[in-house]
Amino acid sequence: MSQLWDTSGIAPQKNVVMAGETIPAIFWNAVAARGPNVWMRQKDFGIWRSWTWNETAQAVREIGHGLMALGFEARHTASILSNTNIEWVLCDLAVLSAGGVSNGIYPTDAAEQVHYLCEDSGTRVLFVEDDEQLDKALAVRDSLPLLQKIVVFDMDGLRDFHDPMVISLKQLQALGREHAQQHPDMLMHRSAACKPQDLAILVYTSGTTGKPKGGMHSHHGLVYTVRGYNTLIARDERDECMCFLPLCHIAERMGGEYFSMYTGAKLNFVENPETVPENVREIAPTVFTAVPRVWEKFYSGVMIALKEAGGLQQAVYGWSIGVGHQVADLVLAHQPVPGSLKLRFHVARLLALNNVRKMIGIHRARFLVTGAAPISPDLVRWYLALGLPMLEVWGMTETCGASTGVPADRIKPGSIGPAAEYNEMRLDPVTGEILVRGPNVFMGYLNQPEKTAETIDADGWLHTGDVGVVDEEGFFRITDRMKDIIITAGGKNITPSELENELKFSPYVTDAVVIGDKRAYLTVIIMIDQENVEKYAQDNDVPFSNYASLTHSTEVQGLIQAEVDRVNKKFARVEQIKKFWLLDTQLSAEDEELTPTMKLKRKLVEKKYTPQIEAMYR
Amino acid sequence: MSAATQTLNTSAEAAAEAVSDDVMLKLLNVESAYGPIKAIRGVSLQVRRGEIATVLGSNGAGKTTILKTISGIIDPRKGSIEFKGHSITAQDPAIIVQRGLMHVPEGREVFPLLSIRDNLLMGAYTRKDRDGVARDMEVVYNYFPILRERAAQDAGLLSGGQQQMLAISRALMANPDLILLDEPSLGLSPKLTKEIFEIVVRINRERGTTILLVEQNANMALNASDYGYVLENGRIVMEDSCARLREKEDIKEFYLGMKEEGVRADRRWKKKKTWR
Repeated sequence: MSQLWDTSGIAPQKNVVMAGETIPAIFWNAVAARGPNVWMRQKDFGIWRSWTWNETAQAVREIGHGLMALGFEARHTASILSNTNIEWVLCDLAVLSAGGVSNGIYPTDAAEQVHYLCEDSGTRVLFVEDDEQLDKALAVRDSLPLLQKIVVFDMDGLRDFHDPMVISLKQLQALGREHAQQHPDMLMHRSAACKPQDLAILVYTSGTTGKPKGGMHSHHGLVYTVRGYNTLIARDERDECMCFLPLCHIAERMGGEYFSMYTGAKLNFVENPETVPENVREIAPTVFTAVPRVWEKFYSGVMIALKEAGGLQQAVYGWSIGVGHQVADLVLAHQPVPGSLKLRFHVARLLALNNVRKMIGIHRARFLVTGAAPISPDLVRWYLALGLPMLEVWGMTETCGASTGVPADRIKPGSIGPAAEYNEMRLDPVTGEILVRGPNVFMGYLNQPEKTAETIDADGWLHTGDVGVVDEEGFFRITDRMKDIIITAGGKNITPSELENELKFSPYVTDAVVIGDKRAYLTVIIMIDQENVEKYAQDNDVPFSNYASLTHSTEVQGLIQAEVDRVNKKFARVEQIKKFWLLDTQLSAEDEELTPTMKLKRKLVEKKYTPQIEAMYR
Repeated sequence: MSAATQTLNTSAEAAAEAVSDDVMLKLLNVESAYGPIKAIRGVSLQVRRGEIATVLGSNGAGKTTILKTISGIIDPRKGSIEFKGHSITAQDPAIIVQRGLMHVPEGREVFPLLSIRDNLLMGAYTRKDRDGVARDMEVVYNYFPILRERAAQDAGLLSGGQQQMLAISRALMANPDLILLDEPSLGLSPKLTKEIFEIVVRINRERGTTILLVEQNANMALNASDYGYVLENGRIVMEDSCARLREKEDIKEFYLGMKEEGVRADRRWKKKKTWR
C-alpha cells in the first residue's frame, strides 16, 4: 500500500517491457509471452468473463482473417461504431494486424456524423455494436461508395433481417477460420509487413467549431508514446484497470487499451456507461485513470451520502478528512510527515477514510490519474487527503494523449507537471501558447493539409492552443484555451476555465460556461447536476414536476446563487460573476450542446442561447 | 383519435383554464416508502375540479402508492396533501372518505360474498340521505344495466369487467367529489376497457365528478383525460395537457409504442428519453 509520504512503490519503470515497433508486433509478442494469463474481463449477464491473451489472439486472428476474406487490404480503413467493450478491442487489433487503419466513431453520433466520418476516413468495413447503431449505418450507406461490409457485434433483434451488406461478427469469424485454413500465415505476414511509419489509427477531434478533423497517428508514434507512458506512470501485469471511457477518444485508446497491452495490466470493461460506479466497486482497480467529471461525480456522491449520515458519522468524517488534509498539506509542501501524524492518519483511515474509499471503489488503488480536461485543485486535494496520490496528466489527440504528467513524489495541485521525458515543451514567447515537439506529435489531419500546417509549424512544434505558464521547477500550468480567453469591456483578461472549475467543484453544478468577452461584466450558463439538485429540492420541500420547473424554482436559483457567491469570493471584483442562467433542458450526449464526454461546447452554447445571454446583460 | 374527443379535450382545456384556481387535490413533495424503499420520491401534482387527471407510469413507478397515500392507506414520510382546501395528510381513511374522496382500488376488491346490491350500499355507508342513495342507485344502474339485472347475485360471481363496473359504482354511491381510479383496465379485454373508459368519461362530464386515474394503458388514459403526469421511478418527469402529451416524442416512443418508418421494418431499440 503506497502512502502519500512514500511514493517509492509507484515509481514508473524506465526499461522497455515488451518488444515491438508496431502495435500488432507488440500485441503478438505479448500473446507469446503472456499466453494463458488473463488480459481482459467483461460482465455478461451479471457474470465477469475473463479473456486470456490466447483467447484474445484466437478471436483477433479470426476477425483479421475474416477481414482479409472480405478483400480488406493493407492501408484500408475500418471504423468501429460501438460503446467501449471487448469486441471493440478485438476488432481494433484485428484491423491493425491486417495492416489496416482503425478509426473509432462515438456511439452517440447521429447518422449524418457517421456518414461524414466514414466518408472522410474512406471506411471499407464498418463494425457496429447492435441494431441501433446498424440503423445509422443503413440510413447512410447508399452514399458511401467505398463501404463494402457492415459487421454487427450483437445480433439481438436482427434474426429476421437479411441484407447482403450486413453480417454478424460471428459470421465474420467463421469466414476467418476458413480463410486461415487456406492462408495460415497471411495475417502474420500482414502484421510483419506493417512499418512503424505507417498510418495506424485515426482519432477524430470532437470539433466544437466546424467539421471534425481526423488526427492521424503512426505505429511509431503510438509505440513510442506508449513506452513513454511507462516512464511517466507506473503500471504492470499485477494491475487492474477499468476500461470505460470511449475508445475512440485518445485517452482510453492509449491509456487504456494500448498501455495495458504493452504492460500486461488487466482491462475490466464496464457493462454500460450507467453501471460505471457499481462496476468500479466490484473491480476495485489498482490504478485508475478517469476524467474530472468522473472524479467530481464520486466526490459529490460522498458529499450527498454524508448529508444523510448521522451527526456522529459526520463528526468522525470531519476529523478524519481534517487529518488527511494535514498530511496532504505537509506532503505538498515537501515537508516530512511526523510519526504522530502518521499514526493519527492511520486511525483516520480506519475510522472513516477507508470506508469512503470503499464506497467509491478506490480502496485498492495505488494512485489515481486524471486528465483530458481541467480539474479543480481542491478536488485533487480531497483525494490526496484520502491518502491517494492523484496525478494529473495533460495532453490532447494531437500529442497522442499525455504530454506532461505530475510525478508522484512532487504533486502540485493546479499544475499539469513537467514535460514528459519523451517530448519537448516550451511556451511561445509572444502568446504564451504551449508548444510540443516529439515523435508523439501526430502526423497531421487527414485530408486537411492546410489545417495541419496551421497546427504544426516548420520546426515541428505543435501549437496546442492552450496558454500556460511554467515555474522554476519546469512545472507547467494551463491558464486557458487560447481562443477561450475573455477580454471584458473593461480590458481585463479573464480565464474562464478557472471560474468554471471552481463552479464544477460544487456537487450541484455539472458544467458551466462563463461569458463576458467584450461585455461589461461576467455571466455564466450553468448545467445543474440533476440527481443532486433533485435531492436537494426533495429534502427542502421544493415542489417540481420536471427539469424545467426544477431549474426555475426560487430555491434552486438560490442554491446556485450561493455556489456562485462562494466562487466569487475567491476572485477579484472584476473577475466575479454577476448573473447566471440555468440550462432548463436536460441534455444527453446525443445533444449538440455536449461533447461525447459530456462537456458543454462553449461556442455552440454561446450561439444557441444568445437570447438568454442577452437577457443577462439587460 | 376521433375529432369528437379532440374537441372534447380542447373544450376541457378551456374549461380547465377557466377554473384553474379551483384546485381540488394538491400534493406537495409527497414521499412514501415501504420500509427502507422509497416508492415515491417527492411527488407534487394537482387535480382541478371537474377534470380527469391521469398519472402514467410503468410497473413499479409508484402510481398505486400515490393513490394509497392520498386516500390515507399509507402515511407519507414527507410532504402534504390538500383536498378541497383542507389538509388530509396522513388522516384516517374513513375521515377522508367522509370528506368526499373515494378510492377504487387496483384489482377491484369487491366484497365477493355480498350481493351486488349490498356492495353498492357499502359504498353509501357514510350517507344519511336515503332518497339520495336510492337516486344514485338508479344512476349507477343506468350506467351499468348489467348490475341491475344481477343485483341479487353474489359479487364474486361477476366477470372481471363486471366487477370493475361494480367497484366504480360502489365509489359513485358515496356521491364523492373525487374518485381515485386505480388501473381500471387491469385484466380486461380491449373492448371492455373501452366501454369502461367511455362510462368513466360520461360520469365525469354528466355528474362533474373529478377523477384521478392511474393507468398503464397510456393510450386509453391519454384519450380519456384532460391533464396528465408521467411518473418514473417515483418521480414526476413530465406534465402537460393530454393533447400535448400525445405529441411528445418520449410519450410516443415509450408509452404509445408508435414508431415512424425507419430504415428497417422492425425496430427493437428505443430512443433515449429526454423528457422535453
